[in-house]
Amino acid sequence: MNRRQFSIIILLIIVGLFALPIFFAPKPTTTTAAGMTLIPPRGEIAAFELRDQHDQVFDLARLHGKWSLLFFGYTHCPDICPTTLATLKQVHQLLGEQNKIIQYVFVSVDPARDTPEVMERYTRYFDPDFLGISGPPSELDKLTQALGAYYHVDKNTAGDYLVDHSAAVFLVDPQARMRGLFSAPQNAQQMAANLRHLEKF
Amino acid sequence: MRRLHLSLMFLVALVTTTHAATTPQVQDAWIQEAPPGATVLAAYLVIVNPGAQAQTLVSVSSPDFAAVEIHASQIVNGVASMTHLKDLSIPAQGRQVLAPGGTHLMLMRPKHALRAGDPVRLRLHFRGSARLDVSATVTRAGADVIHQH
Repeated sequence: MNRRQFSIIILLIIVGLFALPIFFAPKPTTTTAAGMTLIPPRGEIAAFELRDQHDQVFDLARLHGKWSLLFFGYTHCPDICPTTLATLKQVHQLLGEQNKIIQYVFVSVDPARDTPEVMERYTRYFDPDFLGISGPPSELDKLTQALGAYYHVDKNTAGDYLVDHSAAVFLVDPQARMRGLFSAPQNAQQMAANLRHLEKF
Repeated sequence: MRRLHLSLMFLVALVTTTHAATTPQVQDAWIQEAPPGATVLAAYLVIVNPGAQAQTLVSVSSPDFAAVEIHASQIVNGVASMTHLKDLSIPAQGRQVLAPGGTHLMLMRPKHALRAGDPVRLRLHFRGSARLDVSATVTRAGADVIHQH
């Protein structure tokens, strides 16, 4: 091996070392044209304990085993929340068999007004399969922080107070890992088209 | 006498036509059906202003609700919030579209249960003395309704 060949080999090794991260990097965050952002799994989300519309515990264990679509809102919301839940109802109707591996979860960030009884009536209207969960702010905060969701109860507004909340629908995988979100305004056909390929996520 | 009579008829017809062409009109008024026990609902409609002057909607009332407010939903940086609007301007020869996810009429504390198909009376009050009575139909939201706007 002459000196020139040796130099080329050294150069190739150096280039190869720089190229290694490209092959071993985690899958990057991808955003589809259909308003879906998919992120690589980063471990199970933090533990939390809320209650569902039947006053049963809804904790991290209940996010295991199925894909979960979570939407944060409140029942005194006349516009965005019923519109989004009606969209999720259409997604549910469009997906058919695929629903065996998906659960639809409406998370109320207004526990003062949204008791399990209120949530039961509300979610059943949209779809009897939908879950409605809520709980004390300390437990809600664990879930919203884990998913990067936001809410703010505006107690300064007189009487019928308003609540700001994330408009996206969040996607959690069967290992309770945050995997993405569908930005607002969601489109049922596009959401269903993406959710038909869950096994590839 | 006959000529006077005809002239008066013409005048009445002219005034009526002018009135119809300048006062606001409403199209496609509907109310999103809400789950049983809901205390707030939303009404959507299109307000058309064919006149040469801008019109301002200052309040809305309904015999079927304790109160009605003009609200605007916004999504900023992924967060949905609602703002109470004091009034709503409809530009001259323009329109305001009140649709899901945007400006809407927030209907508070229904006086009786409302189901899909029920008509609801709304009275729109504009600045000045103009007012407009509208019938909005309660509709169960679905793909057709949500995405047509």
